[in-house]
Amino acid sequence: MLFTLCKIEDVPADEPLRVELSDGHVVAVYHWEGAFYCTDDLCSHGEASLADGYVEDGAVVCPYHMGSFCIRSGEPRAAPCSEPIAAYAVTIANGELRIERRADHD
Amino acid sequence: MATQVSSTDKAPGRWARKYPELGQEPLSVSPYVDPEYYAREKAKIFKKQWLYVALERELPERGSYKVRRLDCADTSIIIIRGKDDVIRAFHNACSHRGNTVVTETGQETYGRNRAGVVTCRFHGWVYDAKGDLVSVPQEDRFYSCFDKKENGLTEVHCDTWAGFVFVNVDPGPVQPLKEFLGGYADHFGGFDFSACDYGFTYHTTLNCNWKVASDAFAEAYHVDTIHAGSFPNVFEGAIEDVQLFGPHRTCSVRLQVENLPKTPIGDLANQRSRGSLAAVGGASTLPPTLNPDREEDWAFELSALFPSVLLHVSEGIWFTHQFWPISHDKTLWEGKYYLKKPRTYSELWGFERAMVLQRNAWLEDTATMEDTYRAMLSGAKKFQHLQDEEILIRHSCKVVDQYVCS
Repeated sequence: MLFTLCKIEDVPADEPLRVELSDGHVVAVYHWEGAFYCTDDLCSHGEASLADGYVEDGAVVCPYHMGSFCIRSGEPRAAPCSEPIAAYAVTIANGELRIERRADHD
Repeated sequence: MATQVSSTDKAPGRWARKYPELGQEPLSVSPYVDPEYYAREKAKIFKKQWLYVALERELPERGSYKVRRLDCADTSIIIIRGKDDVIRAFHNACSHRGNTVVTETGQETYGRNRAGVVTCRFHGWVYDAKGDLVSVPQEDRFYSCFDKKENGLTEVHCDTWAGFVFVNVDPGPVQPLKEFLGGYADHFGGFDFSACDYGFTYHTTLNCNWKVASDAFAEAYHVDTIHAGSFPNVFEGAIEDVQLFGPHRTCSVRLQVENLPKTPIGDLANQRSRGSLAAVGGASTLPPTLNPDREEDWAFELSALFPSVLLHVSEGIWFTHQFWPISHDKTLWEGKYYLKKPRTYSELWGFERAMVLQRNAWLEDTATMEDTYRAMLSGAKKFQHLQDEEILIRHSCKVVDQYVCS
């Protein structure tokens, strides 16, 4: 299912944006080095919102325990994170960011 | 209560006539050197009264925090601005095994977390800015008697006035901050402290009792002698407009305008920036309570905010000296000087000159405090003799003693 995240200009260059999808699932959207990325918002380690973290070297650093995930692949980059999170390819159409994802209630 | 004394009363003894309840007798040296007296000061003052610990602007964003070490209250305090923009304060102690939650790098530690949380470095317990425990790694391995909801950070009383953040670590109910400040808040509340957005700070640890340090700055009598180099004949020792507000006190210090140093460099600097106190300042930023008659020789307000802050306010300048007891014979002295951010390089130069002048004066002050204390420890002198223009020190001694003996 195709989900619209937000407008391009909604994502600041220096901090992630938390977006609740129309099915209630929550993702974090990143604007880093001129490109857009999207992962699940919930950290797989400590229940933190990754959108409250920051991006460093292409990884989002979790605000709770300073572990991190690659924003391109969702793979853990730094401990204590060890379980990957879902990452989504972002497409741009009509100035909006979109991802393809199976809806939570499907 | 102050008795009515004409403001034109300049004869010796005028402050004793205005505040006869403070007495005129020599005062004991014992409260400065007795460790037992300091133990009672901690219990009755530093663990019971409001303490100035931060400026609101030191917590500029949601999630900004400062940790202030308070040896005088056997703790350190996290002051944090929450996602709701409210500033709260907590003991920096983890509910798990008591570690400091925020690792401190000194007497003052600053940080920010966009999530508005602090995380203990030991086992990763996470607390939000309301103090709630929000994440415990391996929570399922704790026993059923452990309840996350009951194990937040220990909150302390926190309130603000005019951009200043105060805490009171007394676990019981406390006097409201507004009531504690009383007339002192009315006297200074009209000054825009936040307008002075630039400055410098010096700190050092002194081998002396905190009251020795505080007293050293609470009169102008010393300036003629100690500061003969930095401020020659500029402030000749008499103070004016003494007012007592409960445990707090204030007065104004006057310039000897005709003695202001006239040097080509000093004149250039003072024309370009308002940075030095040793210059006629004007009154464009002063509320009506400060220099009410707009007298040319008014230099600055010298006030003491109980228990251990000296707050000075002048045209376009304010600064504090804070004297944090570390033990009965050791004091952390922090001097923080604020003024308006320079807009040009010439203003910056004028300001830098004022800063160096002020640093020199503070260095001159430093020498006597430790010497005074060593001499006090000899036991040779049991009493100190205060003259009338040292009335602020007399008031301080009496107020501290009232709290200690309460």
